Amino acid sequence: MIAAWYVIVSAMLMIYVVLDGRNFGAGMLHEFVAKTPEERRQVIAAIGPLWSWHEVWLVGFGGTLLAVFPKLMASAFAGYYLALFLILWCFILRGVSIEVGGHINDRLWQGFWDFVFVVSNFVLAILFGAAAGNLARGVPLGADGNFSMAFFTNFGVRGHVGLLDWYTVSVAIFTAVLLAAHGATYLTLKTEGPVHDRSATWAKCLWTAVAPLLVLISIESWVVVRPHLRVPAIHNAACWPGLLVIAISIITLISGLLSSAERRAFVGSNLLLMGLMATGAAAIFPVMLYSTLAPENSLTAYTVAASRSALLIASIWWPVGFALATTYFAFISRRYAGRVCVKRDNQGSY
Amino acid sequence: MNSNLSDPAFWSRFQFGFTVIYHYLFPQLTTGLAWFLVYWKWRALRTGDERYNVAARFWAKIFAVNFAIGVVTGIPMEFQFGTNWAGFSRYAGGVIGQTLAMEGMFAFFLESAFIGAFIWGEKRLGPRFHLLAAVGVALGSWLSGYFILVTNAFMQHPVGYTVGADGLLGISSLSAYLLNAWAWVEFAHNQMAALVTGSFVVAAVGALYALRQMHPNQSQLYLRAGTCVGLVASLLVAFPTGDQQAKMVGRHQPVTLAAMEGRFEGGSMAGVAMIGQPNVAARRLDNPIEVPGALSFLAYGTFQSYVHGLNEYPADAWPDNIELLYYSFHLMITLGTIFILLMAYASYQNWRGRLESNTWLLWVLMLAFPFPYIANTVGWMTAELGRQPWLVYGLFHTDDGYSKVVSSGNTIFTLIGFIGLYFVLGLLFLFLVGREIAHGPDEKAAVDTRAGMATAEEKEQVA
Repeated sequence: MIAAWYVIVSAMLMIYVVLDGRNFGAGMLHEFVAKTPEERRQVIAAIGPLWSWHEVWLVGFGGTLLAVFPKLMASAFAGYYLALFLILWCFILRGVSIEVGGHINDRLWQGFWDFVFVVSNFVLAILFGAAAGNLARGVPLGADGNFSMAFFTNFGVRGHVGLLDWYTVSVAIFTAVLLAAHGATYLTLKTEGPVHDRSATWAKCLWTAVAPLLVLISIESWVVVRPHLRVPAIHNAACWPGLLVIAISIITLISGLLSSAERRAFVGSNLLLMGLMATGAAAIFPVMLYSTLAPENSLTAYTVAASRSALLIASIWWPVGFALATTYFAFISRRYAGRVCVKRDNQGSY
Repeated sequence: MNSNLSDPAFWSRFQFGFTVIYHYLFPQLTTGLAWFLVYWKWRALRTGDERYNVAARFWAKIFAVNFAIGVVTGIPMEFQFGTNWAGFSRYAGGVIGQTLAMEGMFAFFLESAFIGAFIWGEKRLGPRFHLLAAVGVALGSWLSGYFILVTNAFMQHPVGYTVGADGLLGISSLSAYLLNAWAWVEFAHNQMAALVTGSFVVAAVGALYALRQMHPNQSQLYLRAGTCVGLVASLLVAFPTGDQQAKMVGRHQPVTLAAMEGRFEGGSMAGVAMIGQPNVAARRLDNPIEVPGALSFLAYGTFQSYVHGLNEYPADAWPDNIELLYYSFHLMITLGTIFILLMAYASYQNWRGRLESNTWLLWVLMLAFPFPYIANTVGWMTAELGRQPWLVYGLFHTDDGYSKVVSSGNTIFTLIGFIGLYFVLGLLFLFLVGREIAHGPDEKAAVDTRAGMATAEEKEQVA
């Protein structure tokens, strides 16, 4: 039961990253793939009406985490205090810049919000990357299950670590490049004209950069930072599907990029993100928050889970909510299928 | 909590209070306005009268700006349960997490899927599905209100829980939790209050146009709908919902009721103070002018009923800011009464067909719209200050709930950040909504629309 909820909560986070990751990526590249105001409207329209729907996955994840793993939410959110508030503020700025940028047809106004949009997406990608690095590396959890973490300490990965060290910074950079590549692939699929051509070029460059970074991050993670996880992970059957998905996604992605099969490339890009996160989630289970001070302080899914009755009750309504959410998703995806047209999918109601 | 400004609990409370009060300025309008949009879309579909579509399109723009700010200021609320209230999340997360998660899974997905369709999809959806999208948005927003109020009702009057071996709360009955009597009363009271805000804003914009002698057709629609709904909602806020809420407080939180009224001595024939300032140190109400017996009657049903006084309880069981609680409650009651009188008079004038020509009444209606926001805010302050010193009433103290690992320095830092960011958001909001209202409903497009809806709008968008 607890393992099943671990899978569900991880899956919600993965869905969120895959869906909103394309917005982070497209947002970071916004000023680079689109030069004129019309082109920039095209990028915004590609993200357009769905961004708040994507963000709901994060809200759903947060709520579900509190319902089934309350002690983890308490410990992790208080410990990541400052980083989380930076994320929240960037979310506010990003949401506002999408919503109000199109309201006034003025160079200065739109230029300002375009800039805010790019910067907030970039910072969000970096912060989420650093958060992923922190999950893999662990945090300075004390015996009472709490931790409080500075932005940086000695940039090392053992003992009293900070949010940023050489490892988490490298994961953050990798994440930003990966999400930018993901977003470029999405824009290639959704746009036309010069924006499409520039996005295609960016996608190829960025994916080329992802390859060596992926190898580097894998070596860092499995050999230097958490070496003792390597052998169990290889023997852990739960990791195999993730590894298989990564392998399939790389083939799909490369063949899609080389043959300009945009849909295939985007599917590959989604699968790659899923595969990486699924492998990581399976490898660290049952530990949800690893302690860099003493392994016995680590918070596992079994120690942080809510009562059995809470998990049972959540098992009743959660599938219903998920089915409804999937139905809406099918409905809106069908409506927004195909390339965007600024005339039709204009942001703002006028 | 002590009153020392270096107390981390104070800063976490201040931050949560500030961010939640600010956040709720936006959903309270969309909650009320959503049903106006449904009504106008429905009338347009039924009568074929394009005026209703014009009204729906105009208010949809104001709705969209409100909704966006509501979303971006709402996400920090959920995160703060973990960041600033880790003790509370650890203690009660197994119960309240259920509704917070359900709000995301059931209400937000519904709302955010249909809001896009409603705002951007009029042409693609056609009139029938566009009405359906409006209904989806309205249902989503009311459903989200329900889940949040169930969460709050649990903090006010916990039901359906068990205490585990580790001393933490677990949920024992989902139905008891969701059907908490407190939640239903609070939900009805709160949703009616949001409808009051919506109707006052609609009426104020109607009055503005009427006074400036602009958009006569539209201003007539707004004034009629605003005053009519405004009267019904203002009455329902007071009776039965507000009345039931007060009885609920009297039954389950008698010390809170005493503090709301500034009553130190218990007794029958308890009055409601019209004027008076609580003097907590001297344990009395200064300069009181009271309606005798009113409190006994309102809280317990007869004038002779005994109402407890604060002196019957130890001082550490009192709400920790009796003065603020007292003023919040009395301001809410006073404003609620004025709303009923104003809307009753406006509806009477409307019935006589003199509303649009009554200049001073239009001025009052135009300037009245901020007051429902104030009434909603002080109403919530009454509920939350009245709950103190408990975080979960009778079970868990507020002082045990905040994150012990987060220093005051960090909380003050993020509070300053929120104040700065929300100030900018407020300016932006006023600018955008002011611009929409100055621009006014697009009646010209309505004429074009009859000639050929899609082409006219496309021309406009290209331009």
